[in-house]
Amino acid sequence: MTRVLLYTDPLSEGYIILITGLLIVFSGLILLTVFFKYGLPIMLYIYKIITKGRDKKVKDISPKVNEKFTGEIAAAISVAIHLYLDEQHDEENAILTIKQARKLYSPWSSKIYSAYRNRL
Amino acid sequence: MKKVILIFGILSLLIFIKPVLGFSSNTTNTSVSASVSQVENTVEETFVDGALDGIKEFYHFTGFANAQTGHIIMILIGIIFIYLGIKFDYEPLLLIPIGVGVMLGNIPFVAGYQTGIYEEGSVLNYLYFGVVKGIYPPLIFLGIGAMTDFSSLIANPKLMLLGAAAQIGVFATFLGALYLGFSLPEAGAIGIIGGADGPTAIFLSSKLANGINILPDGTTVKNLIGPIAIAAYSYMALVPVIQPPIMRLLTSKKERLIRMKPPRAVSQKEKMIFPIVALLLTTFISPSALPLLGMLFFGNLLKESGRTERLAETARTKLIDIVTILLGVTVGASTQADIFITKDSMMIFGLGALSFVIATAGGLLFAKLMNLFLKGDNKINPLIGASGVSAVPDSARVVHAEGLKADPHNYLLMHAMAPNVAGVIGSAIAAGIILSFLG
Repeated sequence: MTRVLLYTDPLSEGYIILITGLLIVFSGLILLTVFFKYGLPIMLYIYKIITKGRDKKVKDISPKVNEKFTGEIAAAISVAIHLYLDEQHDEENAILTIKQARKLYSPWSSKIYSAYRNRL
Repeated sequence: MKKVILIFGILSLLIFIKPVLGFSSNTTNTSVSASVSQVENTVEETFVDGALDGIKEFYHFTGFANAQTGHIIMILIGIIFIYLGIKFDYEPLLLIPIGVGVMLGNIPFVAGYQTGIYEEGSVLNYLYFGVVKGIYPPLIFLGIGAMTDFSSLIANPKLMLLGAAAQIGVFATFLGALYLGFSLPEAGAIGIIGGADGPTAIFLSSKLANGINILPDGTTVKNLIGPIAIAAYSYMALVPVIQPPIMRLLTSKKERLIRMKPPRAVSQKEKMIFPIVALLLTTFISPSALPLLGMLFFGNLLKESGRTERLAETARTKLIDIVTILLGVTVGASTQADIFITKDSMMIFGLGALSFVIATAGGLLFAKLMNLFLKGDNKINPLIGASGVSAVPDSARVVHAEGLKADPHNYLLMHAMAPNVAGVIGSAIAAGIILSFLG
């Protein structure tokens, strides 16, 4: 990784890095953009062909059909669920009782036997 | 009984105060008291002197003896950080650990007893190791990946470009730093502040401006990790203050009213493919950013795969919390006054503010440029360009708030998240590029 820079003037080197750096960042993200715009639908289509329509319709995957189910609807549903789950603990039984722990009788733990062992 | 305690208390207080007085004016007071004590108790002289010497010795080790104005200023800054975090809720999860760290790092001490963060073998030094070697940032990225929902980006891939546009800030600051006379690697590390991404900034500065590397002309680079990290984090916390004026300046009222159509729902398959493909594409382009991008997309795959919920849960809660605590405290403590209060730090702070402004402006202007090519329904609200600076999710929230000010029914949060997460990817790629050029 360590190498001696060929350019002695840091500013000219700086400009080169500026230009190439921006170009690379842009090209990288443009590549991602293009892939997810065009490449991904094709991949999903091919996957569908390979699995021979185990997914019933490729339209399920394509964005056009799902237009009615928008992110907003999803957000509304998830908020509703979140609120519901959040409030669930408020609906607990308000009656608190202290139950007497009931022990089953066993001669092994009986007080009588331990207290009067010598006499019996 | 009370009286006994009182007398004992006064006596001990006197003993403790004596050396303080002695040091503050050691011309008159000490000589007098010394002569008095000599006359009065010649027998106990050795004992009292010994005790006094011990106390003097002890006093030399206390913070009071070693305090300098720098320490006091930095401790005040630390308290201000804590105040900002608590009172105004500016990123308290970061500012409070950093604030405490700043205080910890600036308690005055005598060097050479493995106390300070820069002393070999001290506890803080061991914790700081994760910063110096760039271990913490990728772990934070793992958590961020496990938190982030990329679906708005998948639904509208063209918003990815806004994340790239905001990286203009990085490279502009880089150039500015060069003009101010920083060397190339230092300028690269300073530039990344414009990426508005704390972990990335720490990662890059730990690789480039760590005070260990040697420049081609034989000098050692400066250690700028502390100033860069503090600048990045404090400006990230100040995003709600910095961004809105620029947003209002660069967009017209009409543009702010643009409503974007809701993003489509994204299938789980797409969400699962995204991290894998993005990982491959971005790391092939910029392999130096591998630790950051690799962990980011790994975390996201844990989240989206649906099979590793436990791992994702740990990554986005416990793990990221632990690392944030360690990172915050050690980065704060690295601002030891004698290393931190320099002209360089001031310049870095200036450049940092500038870089945030340029990055925001870059995103906004690029969004307006994109609007020239988009028609009708597809037009984007230029405000979301401002969230191209990464600062997840604060800048998206700021965009949302600004959008609501213009039109109370225009909800931009979901749209703004897309450039926001793209900004994280973009700044990591930019860091990788700078690293491969200058590392």
